[in-house]
Amino acid sequence: MKRQWAIIAGMALVFTACGLWQPYDAAAVDLMARHMPPSWDHPLGRDHLGRDVLSLLMLGAWHTTIVLVIVAGVSFTIGALVGTGAALAGGATETALLRTADLFIVMPQLVIALSLTSLFGLTPVTAGLALGIGGWGPYAILAHGLARRTMAQPFVLAAHALGVGRAGILSRHVLPNTLDTLLTYLASDAGRNVIAYASLAFIGLGADTSQPDWGALLFEYRKFIFDNAWLMLWPGLAILATTLVLHLALEPSMRFGSSVRS
Amino acid sequence: MVHLSRHVLQASLMLWGVSIFAFAIIHAMPADPVLITLVEMNIPVTPENEAVLRTEWGLDRPLIEQYGAWLWRFVGGDWGRSFRTDLPILSEFLQRLPYSATIGLGGLGIAAILALPLGFAAACRPGGTVDYLSRALSIGGQVIPAFWLGLVLLWLLAVELRLIRPFFGGAAEQLLLPTLLVGFYSIGSLGRVFRNELLAITVQPFFRTALAKGLTPETALRRHALRHALFGYVAALTPECAWVVGGTAIVEIVFAVPGISLFLVESIAARDYFVLQAYVMVVAVWMVLIHGLSLILRALLDPRTRR
Repeated sequence: MKRQWAIIAGMALVFTACGLWQPYDAAAVDLMARHMPPSWDHPLGRDHLGRDVLSLLMLGAWHTTIVLVIVAGVSFTIGALVGTGAALAGGATETALLRTADLFIVMPQLVIALSLTSLFGLTPVTAGLALGIGGWGPYAILAHGLARRTMAQPFVLAAHALGVGRAGILSRHVLPNTLDTLLTYLASDAGRNVIAYASLAFIGLGADTSQPDWGALLFEYRKFIFDNAWLMLWPGLAILATTLVLHLALEPSMRFGSSVRS
Repeated sequence: MVHLSRHVLQASLMLWGVSIFAFAIIHAMPADPVLITLVEMNIPVTPENEAVLRTEWGLDRPLIEQYGAWLWRFVGGDWGRSFRTDLPILSEFLQRLPYSATIGLGGLGIAAILALPLGFAAACRPGGTVDYLSRALSIGGQVIPAFWLGLVLLWLLAVELRLIRPFFGGAAEQLLLPTLLVGFYSIGSLGRVFRNELLAITVQPFFRTALAKGLTPETALRRHALRHALFGYVAALTPECAWVVGGTAIVEIVFAVPGISLFLVESIAARDYFVLQAYVMVVAVWMVLIHGLSLILRALLDPRTRR
């Protein structure tokens, strides 16, 4: 458990550092140096505008971090509130809240996010908000299930019998017992959100094309598939490395060489 | 039967909710389709011209009336006309649906069949080479961005090796790569599902008896576990079909497949209200249908779930 959070914290730190410092100005255009292959000074080469690819990718890492933090915040907050609230409320309110969550599961996250970002423009902040709004459904269902299970435990019934109010049961018993699983699910969702954000930027509705997002860069570099195909390798590898680290950090049961579950 | 009718009622309520949401989100968009269309068609933007279009499209009426009129006609099969192409949206969808269905269902079908030998081989030797391979495929399906893998495959097969001409050949040549790509994204997880279904049976006493008789793991699995595992596999396969419509959007865009998702993206860019509404509804109806189908299938295959 500890190892997983350490890896995530380390990654957040590295990505934040990427946002604070890049070896070159990512926006600096030098048309004389178009499509320069990787060299000692520019380890990943320079793109069709002569920009340093490494610096662009580093800024992209920072944007991805912003998106991940916002998506996590939004979907976790809405999901936990609705799910736990439904479990506490019970009755018709519970049904109504859960059906609303179902509604957001039925509608594809990417379509909701596409519509919202084409509405408000595509920046890391709006993309994070849009993906969060499109993706909170599963969290609510999970939070509800966990809260229901906790509330059926004898110690919660005992607390109830002793006259502890709803707020007390929520803060002392339900949340401490559900938060761990919810947070783990949240983190295991991060890789999927990295790809979802890259997809949004790749499709590029409402995007500012000068923004160095991994998905947007890939969309740009895809045009050079015939003569400079190495260029489109980098953004993809950046996404792949991020999702792979997140995946291996968070799903130890799926790790290579781990014990086999039956 | 009571159970089934309750599900139908719930599904209809949910679709109604989706329709409200779809209508609301679209009408919240700040861009005005009337202005966009007038500018695109080089018609002078005068109040008169605006009013003509607004009346024709019914945009001058109160929102609640617009919603009611749209829903009524939608259920009746009149999905309105696209602002952009001026064609009936229903026929646009029907024209594009075969492309989306081919890459979605085709890819899933290929994966579903290939996952059987993969899962079986993985279950024969848990922890063996094939098991690692299936695990790697499953992880790969989750961590490799589809649009990037699509581009790399394009580069490798079309540019370097010149094996296919994805954008100039016939429909089959165009749809081959996207279909295989969708298949790649399902085969790993489906293989894992089948493997786990098989392994779940190996702990049963009757299976241990089979091994104790001296059967090799392969024979024991084939004779005593395969049929049980297939039931679970089919039940797990049905929900997978849910994302076939709507979930392959990014693949359609990379390979310029003229399917419904590409249509959607073009329409969102042009603020084509009714297309977006129709798309959300199509996806939601499909999801609800698949969900219902998987419930029925589960009940047919496994009497224990019939309550």
